[in-house]
This record gives sequence, C-alpha cells and structure tokens, in this order.
Amino acid sequence: MARPDLMKGGAVTLPSLNGPVTPVTTPEGVVLSFRTASFASRLAALLIDFLIIVLVPVLLVILYILLPFEHVKFDNVNMDHPFVQALLILFVLIGFFLRSGYFTLFELGPRAATPGKRIMKIRVISHDGGHLTPSAVITRNALREVELYLPLTLALQASVNGGWLSLVALIWALTLALLPLFNSSRARLGDFLAGTRVVHVPRERLSFDLAEQAPVGSPGLIFSPEQISVYGEKELVVLEEVLREKRPPTLRAVADRIKTRIGWVEPKIASEVPSDEAFLRAYYAALRAQLEGRMLMGRRRKDKFDD
Amino acid sequence: MSDQPPLQLKSQKFREAREKDWKALAKQIDRAENGGLRKFTTEELLELPVLYRSTVSSLSMAQSISLDHNLITFLQALCARAYVYMYGPHARPGVMVRDFFLRDLPRSVRALWGELALSFLCLALGIVGGILMCMADPSWYDPLVGGMSQGRDLNASVDDLRKTIGGTDNGEPLAAFSVFLMSHNTQVTLSAFALGVIGGLPTAFLMIVFGMSVGAMVWLFASKGLGPDFVAWLSIHGTTELTAVVIGAAAGFHLARRIMFPGHLTRKAALSDAGRLAGTAMLGAMLMLVIAGFIEGVARQTVTEMWARFAFGGGMAALWLFYFLAVGRAHKVRPQKVTHGQT
Repeated sequence: MARPDLMKGGAVTLPSLNGPVTPVTTPEGVVLSFRTASFASRLAALLIDFLIIVLVPVLLVILYILLPFEHVKFDNVNMDHPFVQALLILFVLIGFFLRSGYFTLFELGPRAATPGKRIMKIRVISHDGGHLTPSAVITRNALREVELYLPLTLALQASVNGGWLSLVALIWALTLALLPLFNSSRARLGDFLAGTRVVHVPRERLSFDLAEQAPVGSPGLIFSPEQISVYGEKELVVLEEVLREKRPPTLRAVADRIKTRIGWVEPKIASEVPSDEAFLRAYYAALRAQLEGRMLMGRRRKDKFDD
Repeated sequence: MSDQPPLQLKSQKFREAREKDWKALAKQIDRAENGGLRKFTTEELLELPVLYRSTVSSLSMAQSISLDHNLITFLQALCARAYVYMYGPHARPGVMVRDFFLRDLPRSVRALWGELALSFLCLALGIVGGILMCMADPSWYDPLVGGMSQGRDLNASVDDLRKTIGGTDNGEPLAAFSVFLMSHNTQVTLSAFALGVIGGLPTAFLMIVFGMSVGAMVWLFASKGLGPDFVAWLSIHGTTELTAVVIGAAAGFHLARRIMFPGHLTRKAALSDAGRLAGTAMLGAMLMLVIAGFIEGVARQTVTEMWARFAFGGGMAALWLFYFLAVGRAHKVRPQKVTHGQT
C-alpha cells in the first residue's frame, strides 16, 4: 500500500482491493500505484517466452528440411561447403540471440515487454519513477544467467551424476530464483540490481457514471442521513460492482440486506415500490454524495467499521 | 430516467469537464503503442505530454474527490500505460548512442578501476598458472582446454599447429568455429558478471579457469617452439576480447563489493546503484566482444606477418586504452547536460 508522502504533494492512493501494490512517484509528483505482477503471471510470461525461444530453432530446422537444398540433405552433408558454413553461422547467431538478446531487445522496445509479458499484460518499469534506462534493462536480463540458466544447468548436472556438490549448488541457485516469492514487491534479483519492477498494466474501459443514472426524486426513495451513514467507501465499491454487473439474484440479495440494515419501510402504495435496481441506484447515489461530501472536508470513511 | 441528472456531485462535474482529454489520451496511447508515433502530426506530438500531465493531475484529483471506482481504476490504468510509454526505455536513438559512447561507457569503466585491477590479476594468475601446470604435467592440458581445442591437442605436430594459426589456406572451416568461440566467450563474460551477485568468488574462479585455458594453449604452442607466433596470432583479436572479459568480470566484482559493503546506503539502494554502473560497463564489454568477433573473422586470415599481427593487436590495445582513459572526461565549465528521451 502506498504511504501518503505529503512533502511531495502526491495523492493518497486508495488501498488496493487485490494484491500487493508497487507505488511509484512519477516525475510529475503523482503517486501511481501499480499492481505488482504476481509470481504466477511472471512465470506464465516466462514460459511463453521460453516456448518461443525453443520453438523458433525447431521451426527453422523443419523449414530447412522442407526447403529443397539437394546438396545439403542430411545423408550427404558436406561440412566444408561454404553454403553449409554460412547456414551454420546463421544458426549459431540465431541461437545466441535467442538466449542472450531476446529479453533485452524486446524490453528495450516501445512497450517495454517481451511477447510473453505482453500477453500477460505486465510491463517493466523503473522503481524510482524515472526513465527505464537501457542499462537497467540489460542488467536485469544479464542476471537471468544466474537466476535461470545456472539452476537449470545445475539441475541437469545433479540429475545426471547426482553429485552432492551440484545438489547444494542447485538449492542455492533455486533460492535465488525463487526470491520473488519472499519479498513484498515480487522482485527478482535482476530487478533489485537494475532498480526495476514488473507491474500489471491492464487496459480498463471507462464506463458511464452510475450516479448519473439514479432515478429522479421518486417520493419513495429518500433516505435519512442516519440511513445513509451506515456504510463506508469499501461498501460503496462493492455496491458499484453489483450495479455494473446487474445480475438479478445478486441485486435482490444486496437490496434485501441493505433494507434490513437501514430499517427501510416499503411504501404502502404498490406502484411506488421501487425495483431492486432502482432502489440500489438511489442508495448508491445518496451514499456516494454523502461520502464525497465528507471527503471534501477531509474526513474519509474506509468501511462500515470506520469512525 | 431523465436527461437531467438528479444530483450534481462535484465528482460528476469534474468528470464532465475532463472526460474528453482522457479519451483523447487513451486514443493517442493506443496509436503510439502500436508503433504509430511516426505518423503523429507535430500538433499531436506536442499535445501528447500536455494530455498526459493533465490526465495525471486528474488522477491525483479524482483520488481525493471522487468515489467512482470505475473512474479511478480507469484513470489509474490509463496513467500507468501512458507513464510506461512516456518513460519507457526508448530514447532518441542518435542521442542515446552518442551519450552512451562518448560519456556513459568510458566513465563507468573508469569508475571500476579497482575491480579492473583485481579481475586483470585473476586472469594473469590463471594464464601463468595454466602455463606452470602444463609444464609440470602435460596431462593437465586436456581438462583445461577441453572442447575448444579443435585439433590443437597434445598429439598435433608442429605443422598442424602452424596451420591452425596460419593464414588463408584453410580459413573457411574456421569461420563457424570463430562464431562459436565468440558466443562462448560472451557467455563467459555474462557469467562472470552475473556470478558477482553471489559473492564474487565464483567470478574470480571463472576468470582463473578461463585464464588457465588460455595459458595451457600458450604452453602447447611454446613447447613446439611456436610461442611468439601463437601470441601474435592471439593478440589480433585477443587484446580486444580479453579486455572485454576483464571488464565483464570487473563489473561482477563491483556488484559483489557493493552487496557486501553497501556503505551508508541500504543494501537494496547500493545494489541498484551498482547495477546501473556495472550494467553500462557490461554493455560495453558485450559490444567489444562483437568487435572482437569481427576482427577474428577478418583480420585473423588477412594479417599473416608476425610483426603486423603484433602491430594490429597492440594498436587495438592502445585504442581501447585511450578510449577508456581519455574519452568523456567532464569539463569544469560545461554544465551537466541532462537528457530526457522523448517526453
């Protein structure tokens, strides 16, 4: 959760509803609270990238076999043929790029993410809020050598000759690789070194303002201040979600709970009884008006237990 | 439901007034992310930072006056995307390259002088050790050199050895091997750097082992009376390549030092500080390795005289020395220039 830093004039951020948050103070002095990318989504992104890294050479070999190079078929390969040499060089270079340059080049691009990260909607940012520098990207990816390739190599060695030394080394390397699980910002070693973090950057759609849709002053939908001040901001957010989802059973259940809680008296005339949705909209608008009014006075109410 | 909203909250008025800007920014960021920045008109380009700043300030205001959760998540996500785009790593390529070569790289290498001395010492120790070990017992040669020998083994005759370091006669099959060697040495450099994080000892170990394999090869050629020829052949690309390896290992040592002795900073801050410096030096080392690869591919076959080889290798060494010692020194009068990429 972001700490309000009054000296920097940053905004106080809302407590996040889901997962840990990486607060970043931008050069404009605003605190952007990014949702920290979870270990699972980072692992998924890594696996997708690995899949690409592994599949590209395989596809190249298949392509090579399919293409009609009659003098370089596998039965009579002439290793000294200049064409084979050129292909070999190309292949080593591609392999080298895939292993050492893939992550760096993609993260230096305009989206600061590899294809895997892009699919998982996560991005690399600089932890201090400034520019993500090329040297930071290179550092964080060079450290993959220790975090990723070393454990893999050691695991292979340990499984082949089963020496206790490589087993110890494997455990040590695994501890490094699993570092994101043990710190709150889910940063791996390379992130600490480069001063970067990986965060979730989703695309959100701007929907309509629910307060605009509150039913106009129907006589049955007036709430007393006591009835409104039962709830706080957290409940308001939940109510908003319910109203945007619009599932009748949920609407009904939530409306019933609120009605009992605030001691709501149904109007006598049947035509004036509001639908569940109309009731909730009206209550939402009233609650928000009250909470925002208090907020302007600098008194926020976190949830119904606050105050 | 009517057209007239029943209540005009402050947050509603706020939203009405600014919604247009947010949508405009969202559209521009969409376009820019898809690589369309080149197609922006000058006005649009100038407008982008203005839109970004006004949206960021909207967010900071919305957080203190509005309780519309959807609005705030939207603004947060939009600002986050815009921020990631605006402060992404893409600087103008020209400026970035110039600053890097003329300022950042030589400065960060100079800042590493202590570590450079240490890593050079490790390499020298390895080379001397490799020679001494093989002199004492030739059977050390195979484990030290391993798969890189390519016919330069103990049973090779003087002529065979002379051929491997010769001129153009059998250059072609060596080309693929050179590329392999280049990626191998790059790997050594990367590992030497990265292993610095786990205390620096592995880096020293790696450097010594690497030096030993070089030393063992020197011994092999020297024992057949080809010592000077081999060193001359090696110096063509070796001066560049070994300098790169030494710099990579020095960057690794720097990481190790700053982790173990962070000084007045917190360990985390020291680490990210060290990471930037070392990362810059590391990028330089990688580029040097690529240059070494080119030299290896071209000059190795074309420069055949021993004196020419020494002159070429020595020239390269002098060039690197000059570059790292002299380029990018801060002048006293010139104000520090701060470059921001595209903002």
